[in-house]
Amino acid sequence: MALRASLLQATFNFERQQGLGWAYSIAPALQRLYPDPELRARRLAEHTAYFNTQPTLCSVALGAVASYEEQRAHGAPIDASGMTRVKNVLGAALAAIGDRMFWFTLRPLVACFGVILAASGSAFGAVVMWGCYNVMHQGMRFAGVGWGYRQGPSVLSGDLRMRLERMIGVWSLMGVAAVGATVAVILVPDGIPRPVLFQIVFVSGLAFGLIAAQRVRPSPTEWALGAGVVSLIAAWPR
Amino acid sequence: MTSAITATVLLGGVAALDAGPVAQTLLSQPLVTATLLGLLWNDLPLALSVGVVLQILAASTLPVGSRTPEDYAMGGVIGVALALLLAQQQPYSMARDGCALVGVFAGMISATAGVPLLKWQRRRNEGLSHWCEEELLAGRERSLVQAHAAGVVLAFGVGVSYTAACLAVGVGMLLGVVRTESIWLARAWLFAQPLWIGLGLAQLLHAFVQRRLLRVAVFGAALFVTWILLMVGSA
Repeated sequence: MALRASLLQATFNFERQQGLGWAYSIAPALQRLYPDPELRARRLAEHTAYFNTQPTLCSVALGAVASYEEQRAHGAPIDASGMTRVKNVLGAALAAIGDRMFWFTLRPLVACFGVILAASGSAFGAVVMWGCYNVMHQGMRFAGVGWGYRQGPSVLSGDLRMRLERMIGVWSLMGVAAVGATVAVILVPDGIPRPVLFQIVFVSGLAFGLIAAQRVRPSPTEWALGAGVVSLIAAWPR
Repeated sequence: MTSAITATVLLGGVAALDAGPVAQTLLSQPLVTATLLGLLWNDLPLALSVGVVLQILAASTLPVGSRTPEDYAMGGVIGVALALLLAQQQPYSMARDGCALVGVFAGMISATAGVPLLKWQRRRNEGLSHWCEEELLAGRERSLVQAHAAGVVLAFGVGVSYTAACLAVGVGMLLGVVRTESIWLARAWLFAQPLWIGLGLAQLLHAFVQRRLLRVAVFGAALFVTWILLMVGSA
């Protein structure tokens, strides 16, 4: 299931979001639980309904729902709407944790690691960035199914949520430290200070960026496009 | 050169897959694709100078709310590849800075222009989803595999086509500009590079700090310690 969860977003769409990917990922569990092809097909069709969460931590929900589906297959009074409720609650809770953990914390953190090395011209920046991210990303993707299966739908009411929150806190601290180190490496690569013009423009960009970051719009890319146009005008041939 | 261009275009397809439909391993991030392209085109310094700027901007672009963020998987490949392609044609080293500037601009523009394509793919996948549900209810479980194969092929095809189209248009439009305006572009790079990196890092810092004093102190300490270590190390 964890391997199939890699394709969770292959058919991502506005209407059901990851619904089809979810059905594809949970199919091996249903294969084992429902030997009757007709019943299995009906259950699979149910699972194509709307679902959305953070793709890495989805495996936790997959394990938990597989365990719930197991109870259902053994005769527990669980109907389709109960299954949908469990899926949606888990999906929303895992998205809230996973988005902060992977998109807002781990990805920028490993990007800083990569940039620190790449700024000195090393190809290992990309290797370190990719490797560090995937140790956590693939590790959690594969371990998550087991965590979810063992604890069932109540997987996030135990200490897993606390552990994940603690991890986000530690990574955030590492993130600010990494941004600090990146600023130093950009200003003094290999211990040789950059030209004064570079330092002045860089610090101006940093200060302006901190002010611009107070608002969601314009996006960083829109600000950067504007800054690029300003640079072209500033360098206009006289 | 033909094989390098073919490999670049195929990398565009692989990046489009990694960014969303398959595995999400960060292979599609600009720094990783820039490194691969730098090795492929045998010009790592130029690839990294474009890749670092695009990577910082990509890392500071967060999927907030329902907004579809810029597609830096495509922007990274297109921006870096365009800079490398243009630089191959330039006999003077100064023109390389101009190529880097053009590459970053192309990366940002293609990342922004790639968003409607992503939305188009998602709308196409809605039809796939309905078809698959009907097939499942008719007892054809294989339709799940077929739907996923179709989704993957579509994303790969769009990635390859978009990369090829952007590179063709970019080289056609910008080769002359880079040749004739290399001094102006190189001077603009002197301003733009630090400005872009500063802007991007500020966004990252803001996202990490979240108005907590302890984190500001950690940032300051890390900056100071790294600075001292770099200065002492070079002495």
